[in-house]
Amino acid sequence: MKINTWFGTLETDIVGEILESRLLSKDIRKLALHSLSLRESRSNLPPEGFDLKAAAIKSGFAESPAEYYFLLHEVTLEAAKLQVSSAITPDQRIIQAVEALDDVNETTNALFERLSEWYGGYFPESGLGGEDLALFIVKYGSRENVSSEDPLYSKARDSMGAKLEPADEALIKDFAGSVLSLYERRQQIEAYIENSMEQVAPNLKHIAGPMLGARLISLAGSLEKLAEFPSSTIQVIGASKALFKHLRARAPSPKHGIIYSHPLVNTAPWWLRGKVARAVASKLSLAARIDFYSGEKDPSLIEKLEAKVLQIRTLNPRPPQKKQENGAKLKKRRRK
Amino acid sequence: MPEVKKLSDGIFEVIKDKKQLATKNLDPGKAVYGEKLIPVQETEYRTWDPRRSKLGAMVLKKFNISLKENSKVLYLGAASGTTVSHVSDIVSEGAVYAVEFAPRSMRDLIRLASRRKNIHPILADAGKPDSYSHLVEPVDLIFQDVAQPNQAEIAARNAIRFLKRDGYLLLSIKARSIDTAANPKEVFKAEVKKLEQAFEPGFEILNAKDLKPYHEDHLGVLAKLR
Repeated sequence: MKINTWFGTLETDIVGEILESRLLSKDIRKLALHSLSLRESRSNLPPEGFDLKAAAIKSGFAESPAEYYFLLHEVTLEAAKLQVSSAITPDQRIIQAVEALDDVNETTNALFERLSEWYGGYFPESGLGGEDLALFIVKYGSRENVSSEDPLYSKARDSMGAKLEPADEALIKDFAGSVLSLYERRQQIEAYIENSMEQVAPNLKHIAGPMLGARLISLAGSLEKLAEFPSSTIQVIGASKALFKHLRARAPSPKHGIIYSHPLVNTAPWWLRGKVARAVASKLSLAARIDFYSGEKDPSLIEKLEAKVLQIRTLNPRPPQKKQENGAKLKKRRRK
Repeated sequence: MPEVKKLSDGIFEVIKDKKQLATKNLDPGKAVYGEKLIPVQETEYRTWDPRRSKLGAMVLKKFNISLKENSKVLYLGAASGTTVSHVSDIVSEGAVYAVEFAPRSMRDLIRLASRRKNIHPILADAGKPDSYSHLVEPVDLIFQDVAQPNQAEIAARNAIRFLKRDGYLLLSIKARSIDTAANPKEVFKAEVKKLEQAFEPGFEILNAKDLKPYHEDHLGVLAKLR
C-alpha cells in the first residue's frame, strides 16, 4: 500500500509495516511545496488513524519526536505563508478599493458638514456645496478676498457673515484643502475600480456598472462566491436584515438588495420592481459566472436583459388594483 | 500576591481582585489579543476571557476537557488564534494542528504560530479532511468551532480520520449558523441526534450544555466515538 505524507512516500504491507520509503530532503521550502501539492490528492491518503510521526521516525526521516515536530512546524508555517501570499487576487484588490471608497465617502461627508457649518458663519449666502465650497475656500479664504470678476462678488461684499480673522482663515483654508484632497482621492479610487472591473469582471461591469458590480463582489466576498450564488441570493444581497426578518417573522420578503441602485430597477414603477429586480439578478448571476469561468465578454447579455425588462413592462402596464389595497394594509400592520 | 488554583492540567483560576480563568504563558511577556498577564512568583499567567472563547466558556461550564501537557489537538476553525493560544499554553509539550479556511484570519494565526512552536497552522477547509491528512497525526482531542450548517458532518469526518479511540470531541454548535429561523433548542436537539446517529460508528454524547451567559445560542458538546 502506498501512502503519501508531507515528508515523502511510504510503501507499507497489510499490517502497516514500512517496506520501502522515498523520503524528501529536509529543505523546508521544498517540503512546503510538496505538502501543498498533496492538498488535492485523492489517492494514497494515509489510512484512518495512521501515525505519521511514528512512520517518520521509523523510516528515518526524523531522529526524534522533537525533530519531527520542529520540521512539521516549519513546513506548515511556510506552506501557510505561501497560501496567504497568493490569496490576494485581483478581485480581493477590488474589494479593498470598494471598502476604502466607502470609508472615504463617510469621512468626506462628515468633514464636509463640518466645513460647511464652520464657513457658514463667515459667508452664509455663498450657496455653494460639496467640492465647490471647498474649492472656493481654498481659493479665497475670507470673503473679502473674492475678486470682482467672481459671480459671487456682490454676495460676498454684502454678506451678513462675520469677519474672518487671519488665524481662523489659515486654519479653515487648510481644512478645506484636506477635504478637497479627499474628493480627489475618491475620484482616483473610482477610476481604479472602473479600470480593474474591466479586467476582472467585464460582463458584470457591463450589466451592473463598475460600482454596483464591485459592491456585489465585495458583499459576496469574492468573484468566485458571487458566481456560485443563485440569482435569488444576488437579488437580495445587501438586504440581509429584511431577509432574515422575513425568514424569522412574518415580514414580507425583500424585493431587492443593493441591486436597487441599478438604473433598470430604480426607474421601474413600484409594481414592477420585484419582477425587474429578478430579471436583473438573473443576468448579473450569468455575467459573474461568465467572468469567473471563461472571462470572455458577451455583449448580448445586456440586450437580452433590456428585452426582458421591456417585456415585463408591456405585460404589466398598470398597477394591480385589488392587491395593492391588501398589500398596503398588511404592510401597515406588520410595521408595528 | 494573587492566589492560584489549579482547575485541571494547564488550566488555572487566578484570583486578583476577582476570579479569572487563566493559562500559563508559553511565550512569557507577550499578550496575544490584549488579555492581561499576571505574574505569580516565577510563572506568568494569561487571563482567558470566556466571552471571547467558546472553549473558555466550556471550561467554566465544567466540561471535562482532559488535556495533558503532551496532548495532541486538532483545532478546526482556529480563526485568529485567540483560543488556539490558550490551547497552546495547555499542551505546552504537545501539538496543536490549527485548521482555518480564511486567508485573512490565517495571517494573524501565522504571526501567533511563528512564536509558538507547538502550533502547526493549516490553511484548509475543515470539511475536507483528506486535504490535510498527509499532515495530521492521530489526536487526543478535536475541538471544533466552525459555525457551518453541516458542522456535525464535519466533526464526524474528522473524528473518523484523526481521533484516537480514547480521544474526545469538543464541539461548539452555533444555532444561528444552522438555521436562522428555527428555535435554538430544536436545532440543538437535531444536531445532537445527528452526532449520535448520522454516521458509523456515531458519537456517544458525554455532556451537552448551553454556553449561556458567555455566548448566546451556542451549545457545547463533549463526545467520544462509540
